[in-house]
Formats: sequence, C-alpha cells, structure tokens
Amino acid sequence: MNPNEFDVIIIGGGITGAGTQRDCAMRGLRTLLIERSDIATGATGRNHGLLHSGARYAVNDPESAEECIRENMILRTIAAHCIDETEGLFITLPEDDLAYQQNFVESCRKAGIGAEIIDPDLARRLEPSVNPELIGAVKVPDGSVDPFRLCAANMLDAKLHGGQVRLHTEVTGFIREGDTIKGVHTRNRQTGEEADFYAPVTVNACGIWGQHMAELAGVRIGMFPAKGALLIFAHRVNNMVINRCRKPSNADILVPGDTVCVIGTTSTRIPFEECDHVAVTPDEVDLLITEGAKLAPSLSSTRILRAYAGVRPLVSADDDPSGRNISRGIVCLDHESRDGLKGFVTITGGKLMTYRLMAEIATDTVCRKLGVDKPCTTATTPLPGSEERSYEAVAQKIWEAPSTAQKAAASRMGTRASRIRTGDRRDDALICECEEVSVGEINAAIERMDVSTLTDLRRRTRVGMGTCQGEFCACRAAGLLAKAHGCVERERKDLADFLQERWKGNFPIGWGDTLREAEYTQWVYKHVLGL
Amino acid sequence: MKFDSVIMGGGLAGMVAGISLQQEGKSTAVISTGQSCLHFFSGSFESLAEPSPRVAELFSQAGIRLHYQKGVRLMPLGSFQESALALEDIDIFPTPQFSRRTLIVNFMGYHDFFSSFLAEGLEKQGIQCRIRFINLPELEPTEMARGEMRPVQIARTMDRIWEKAVQEIRLLLKDEDTVILPQVFGLQDISVPSRIRQALPARVVFAGTMPPSIPGIRTQMLLKKRYQLLGGTFLMGDEAVRAHIHDGVVHSIVTKNLDSHYLEGDSFILATGGLFSKGLKSNPFQIFEPVMGLDVEYAEDRNTWYNPSFAEKQPYMDYGVKTDENLHPFLEGRSVTNLYAIGSLLGNTRPELGSGAGLAINSAFAAVDEILRSAQHDKED
Repeated sequence: MNPNEFDVIIIGGGITGAGTQRDCAMRGLRTLLIERSDIATGATGRNHGLLHSGARYAVNDPESAEECIRENMILRTIAAHCIDETEGLFITLPEDDLAYQQNFVESCRKAGIGAEIIDPDLARRLEPSVNPELIGAVKVPDGSVDPFRLCAANMLDAKLHGGQVRLHTEVTGFIREGDTIKGVHTRNRQTGEEADFYAPVTVNACGIWGQHMAELAGVRIGMFPAKGALLIFAHRVNNMVINRCRKPSNADILVPGDTVCVIGTTSTRIPFEECDHVAVTPDEVDLLITEGAKLAPSLSSTRILRAYAGVRPLVSADDDPSGRNISRGIVCLDHESRDGLKGFVTITGGKLMTYRLMAEIATDTVCRKLGVDKPCTTATTPLPGSEERSYEAVAQKIWEAPSTAQKAAASRMGTRASRIRTGDRRDDALICECEEVSVGEINAAIERMDVSTLTDLRRRTRVGMGTCQGEFCACRAAGLLAKAHGCVERERKDLADFLQERWKGNFPIGWGDTLREAEYTQWVYKHVLGL
Repeated sequence: MKFDSVIMGGGLAGMVAGISLQQEGKSTAVISTGQSCLHFFSGSFESLAEPSPRVAELFSQAGIRLHYQKGVRLMPLGSFQESALALEDIDIFPTPQFSRRTLIVNFMGYHDFFSSFLAEGLEKQGIQCRIRFINLPELEPTEMARGEMRPVQIARTMDRIWEKAVQEIRLLLKDEDTVILPQVFGLQDISVPSRIRQALPARVVFAGTMPPSIPGIRTQMLLKKRYQLLGGTFLMGDEAVRAHIHDGVVHSIVTKNLDSHYLEGDSFILATGGLFSKGLKSNPFQIFEPVMGLDVEYAEDRNTWYNPSFAEKQPYMDYGVKTDENLHPFLEGRSVTNLYAIGSLLGNTRPELGSGAGLAINSAFAAVDEILRSAQHDKED
C-alpha cells in the first residue's frame, strides 16, 4: 500500500474538517486531513464559543433552530469536557419591545427548545451581573463550548481511528485526470517539503477559503465573507449566557467561557483579500463595549483582554449570483452532480453548533461515492476525554485530592488528563500561572497533539490565553518547545511571532491595564530578556 | 506633617532624589506603593554613557558597587547588548567572545532561566557550551510550595545554601573557563555573588532570569536603607491621591493611608512612573496624570498610540507629563513652580535627559539641584 494513498482527503483543519475526518475514520475509511495553518485558526476559533440552544434563530430561521437544539443535546453528551452547561437568558430591556417575548417563546417551543419565561427578579438572582433594568427574561438551554478543545478532540479521535493529520501544509493544486480529482499537491509551509497525496474523494472543508479551494479544483462556489468582531474580557463576569430578546442584532450575546467572557458580534461584508488579515476597527470596539454594557453593566469597567474577528462562510444560493439570497444553513455540494467533477465534495455554510451534522452529511456523501455502507455513530460516541460528564469527578478519580491546577487540567483534557505525567517537580511545575498549566500537560500536548509553535500550543492548552497574555509563560513554554524540537533558533523566532500575534489582539483595545501590561511585556522582552 | 520636600514614588528616581536631598540636610518623605520598576531592573544603566562620579558616590555610599567599562553584556535569551555602566555582578565584556568553553548551570525544574537559549546564543559566538542541572533537596516541593520555582523563592533559599550549590557546581566543572549561573544570588546577603566568584575555579557570569530581578530588588532595598539611615521618612504601602494646588503652587498632598493628615512641603517631586507604574493612566479617550491632573503630552487619536508591529518602537512609550526647562510640570497650561516631575513619568518628552534608569537618575539630580538652588535663592531674598 502506498503510504500516500487514502480513501478520503479532507482539506481544512477547522471544526468541520476535524469532525468530518472523525466521522470518516469511525466508518473505517483511511483519512488524511490537510491544514495550511493550525487547527481552528479560521472561524472555528474566532466566534463566541456559544453552545446555541437555537433560541436566537427560533423566530427567523426555524430550521436552524431545530438543528441547533438537537446538536446542543448531542454535544452535551459526546463533548462533555468541551462544554460548560451554563444555561442562558434572553433579556428584554426597557428600550426593547416586550411583545417580542411571546412570539419568541412560542417559536422556541415549536422548534423543541425549552424556553421558560421567568420573573425579572429571579433573573437578577440567577445572574447577578445582568442589567438590573431588565423588564423581561426567558431562560433557555444555552451553554458555552471551547471550540479549540472540541476541534482538537475530534482530530485526536480521528487519529485514534487511524487518521493522519498534516498541519502547516498547504494544498497547492489538485491532481486531476479528465473529469476526476485524484489527489492533491501539497507543500509544507514550515519545511518547504512538497508531497502528493491520492484519494478517490477529496472534501473541501475550508470555510470561507472554500471558494478559493473550489476554484483551484476548477469549480465555482459563490461565497460571501462576513466579518464578525468580538471582545474578550479578563474576567468571567457572567455565569449564564446573556442574550437580548429582540431581532438578532450587533453585540447582543455575552458568553462566559473558562476564566473569561466574550461579547459579540458585528457583521460586515469584507473583500476576500481581507480574510487572512481581519482587523478589528475602533468603531467596532466602541460598539461592542456600549452594547455589551447594556447586557451586563459591569463590562464598562472590566478590563478587556483581546479584540478579534472571524469570517463567516456564507454561501449564496446557486441560482442567485447576486448573493442577496444568502443561507446560513448547511451546504453540501457533490461537485459530480453539480459540476460534473468527480471525486470532489464541498461542505460549508453551517455553524460551529452544527459541525457534527455537517460532518455526518459530508461523510454520507463520501461513503455513497465509495460504496461504503456504514452508519454514522458520532452522535452517540463520546469524544476522547468526554467519557465522564463532570471534570471534577474525573480529577477526583485520577488524583484523589486534586490541586486546583489538576482540576484545571481535567477541565481542559477530560479523562485524557490521566495521561499527564505528574508527581514530581519537573512535571508539576507551572508554566502558565493564569490558566494553571503544568509542564506535564504541555509535554502531553507536544507529544500527542501536533504542536509545532507556541500559538499551536496555546490553542491546545490555553497557555498564554489568560490575563498576562503570554508575558510570563511564553518564554517558559518556548524553552520546552525548543527542547522537544531540538531547535532553539526556530523557537526564538516562534517566540517573536507569538508575541506579535498576542499584540495584534491587544492594540485595538490598548488602554488602561491592557496598555500597562503591553508596556511591561514590551519592556521585559526587549530590555530585560533581549529578544 | 511638614517636610522640606515630599517625594511621590519610591522607584529609582524617587530614591535618588530622596537620598540626595537628605544628604544636603533637607527633611523629606518618600511615598511608595512598595513596588517599582527596580524590581524589573536589568542591572545595567544603558543610557548613562559616561561614568558620573556623583552616581558612583551615591550608589557606593548605599553599598551598591557599580563598574564602568564599555562593552557588551549577556542577555537572558543569549543575545548581547551594549553596556557601559552596570551593577558589579553584571559582567560587561569587551567582545561577545568572552570564553572558549562555558558550563551553564540551572536548577532542576526551574523554567525562568533560559539555559538552552543562552547556549545557542553563545555557540553562535564560537563558545562551546555544556548545560547541566543541579538538584538540591532544599529546592524539593516539600521545601517550596508547588509551582513556586520563581526567582525570589530560589534566591531566599540560596542566601542560606549557596555554598552547597557551589559544591555541586564544582563537581560538574571539567575544563570550562566560565560558569554561567542564574541571577538568583545575594538577595539579602549582598556578599554572596562575589564569594561565589572566589569559590569557583572558573570565571562566574550571572545571567538574568525572568523578572522579578534579584539585583533589582537588592538595589531597591539598599537605596531604601540608605535613605532611612539619612533620616528620610519612608511611607511604605501608601500613595498620593490628590493635591491642594493654589495659584500654581502645591501646598499639600493627600495620601491613601494618611487621610486628613496632609503632607505639606516647600517643594514636591512627582516620581510616580509611567503607564506601567500608574504614574500615567489611560482610558479609551485620554492619557492622564491621576494625582494632580497635570498636562500630558500625547496624541489625541488613540489609533496613533500604538504601532501594530510588536517589535517596533511604540508611540505611547514617548508620552509623558509636560515640563518647563526646570522640570516644573504644567497644569492647564500654567507651570506649577514648586513641583518637579522626574523619571519615567516624563516619557520621552525630555530626550536630552536619557531614558530608563538614565532618565530616572539624570532628572532626579536636575530636580534636586533646582530645589537646592531655589532654596538658596529664597534664603538670599
């Protein structure tokens, strides 16, 4: 067997690609996933991290609402260690129309979403950070999800089922014979190494970059990049998700996640050229703060940690080149029936919440093409790490009397935390104090989770995601990476890249403590450490 | 409470001003939050190009020995930076090729000292390196709280057991001419670095760690001790919150802890630091001086405060309190005649006075001279 031959090649290391690889691998296919950067670098890692109940879509898009609530319930069981079951509120403020609430609740119920009108007083008690001026509140089964963890867990499971993953590897072209895609030409962006891979089916799961990938294969998809900007606050101000009970609008969702909370989002059409370098503008920052403070007034005095933006992969209907009729639903294109191009499938549209369903639909298409008749089991099989529902129970089982750092590790890795080497000073030493990440956990990630840079490490362990934004831990973690890869010179550049990447999210909100921290970081690395 | 001069800020600038004024027989108070940029001090006075007898004397009387030599010093990540004046335990080499063979020693499980980066940097200079780790029972987790392998904790232990560490290092040494150790020696007992140098048969170089800086903390403690010995009043853990200013003259200041006991003085020195030390504060709309609301030089459009490239010079680092030629700051366009702004509070508004430690010392001396001159002037009047 040629080691470069697979049953299916999946392009794109976001949640859709990772989910599709997992599903394909679980159905017995030999899979290869190719990602030009790292996991979850596109829209997957650049959203609220909201485990939608579907309530937001209930009034205007009942189909999406139904998909959301179904997947919401599935993810709670298969991805427990990636999910925080916080519940959510839809609040009505004095400036909103309370009449909307009734319509909203009825639409939720129709979609199968448990929505319950509660007294504003009760809402204030359930969620003390909520705007006390509220005149109405509805409780819904929203939650929060860590998209990095979810993506990594899907990819890990694919690998446990024999899948192969090539990160930092770009598809430079397709191997085409007549009307059939036979494989891909690739180039490793770190080493420059070129390689060809072959499979009877290739899946394009590139999010907004899917249009470009389709063009490379010789077919056309009309996509519309829509930028959404968000802010991360340095504290977990709220414990429940807080939404505005009104027609979906800008900056009307506040989601708690780990030690922080996230306000968003906006929606702006941007040109394709900007997709690789989306920047948050001062106007967006101001809008997010103003609107955010309406949900939870304390946000106006809470330190902002970062500003970031993602690009939604919206697809226009095939019969509508103008893009007016844009769908936010799942789009799975079999290019054989659509364009006469065999061996090529595009899966796009959709959202983080429905990634598993998207993967199932894409995998069904792949299996049909390959003549494989195996049912999808991803809705009932827990992801690695999620075999237990409570991370506290996991930590208890592994360590008996777990420290806070061990509990934090269990919350990040679930049952896989048992693989962290622990028990002596070398392994237990903390590298990241903000997020309590130990040497053992970092080494576990380096060994098993395809980490080549500090930024990759951050996506897998939360190193550098906390209040210091990597100021202290980056250098320590760089030492571990240099050791693991045996190359200090590369690590020195990696460290500089990591600091630049952190700064990118800091300068749009550079005032107050953020500016203090930035001045300190800049000074330490330049004048004290001499980077 | 009445003093000749009240100094707000106990960092390098404030302490130099306080010590100098006490030496001249003035009564002063220093208000310090307890932390300062000295805790992150590299040990080298980069922007003091010339050896100034005044600086050397002030420091040596405080028990801090400096040495002057034009050359380079070794940075914690293995690069070299030009230096001329530094604390005695910071080596300045004529060239980066200071050794042929070097042994780099670190403590097992200590991640704030970057031995592999140092080795790579030195090997680029043609210096052969060997990295070794030592394990001492006193650094075991039972002895030190979990996760606390940080500079200060290790330095506290090393004050007690540095001789044991030296024994271990001696066993590791082969034919190396140099040993590089982390800068975690001599926190309380200032003789330790030089005693280590005498005890080992190779040249000993102390390389920096992640902050806090042990030589920096030591410098801070010695300056404070010297100031108190001279009779200065050191108000630890306090900070100025506002001032009573009439007709361009400061009459008294209010501190957090002293409540209604205002601190009065003939002159006042503001040495509260830059943005990091909260001598300047910022919000989305402005950069301001929080104690007195002094005029600050900065760009109004917040989008011009930063450079999107982290490695580039950042405009916000230049912002500072506006001053006249005698370092009197302005309040609503009018200079405050018995107030002086010194140190990093000035940002880069007075480039002729240097930057960093150089700016702290130069501006402190300039303010002290001006205070003494105008006191003399008043007397003559």
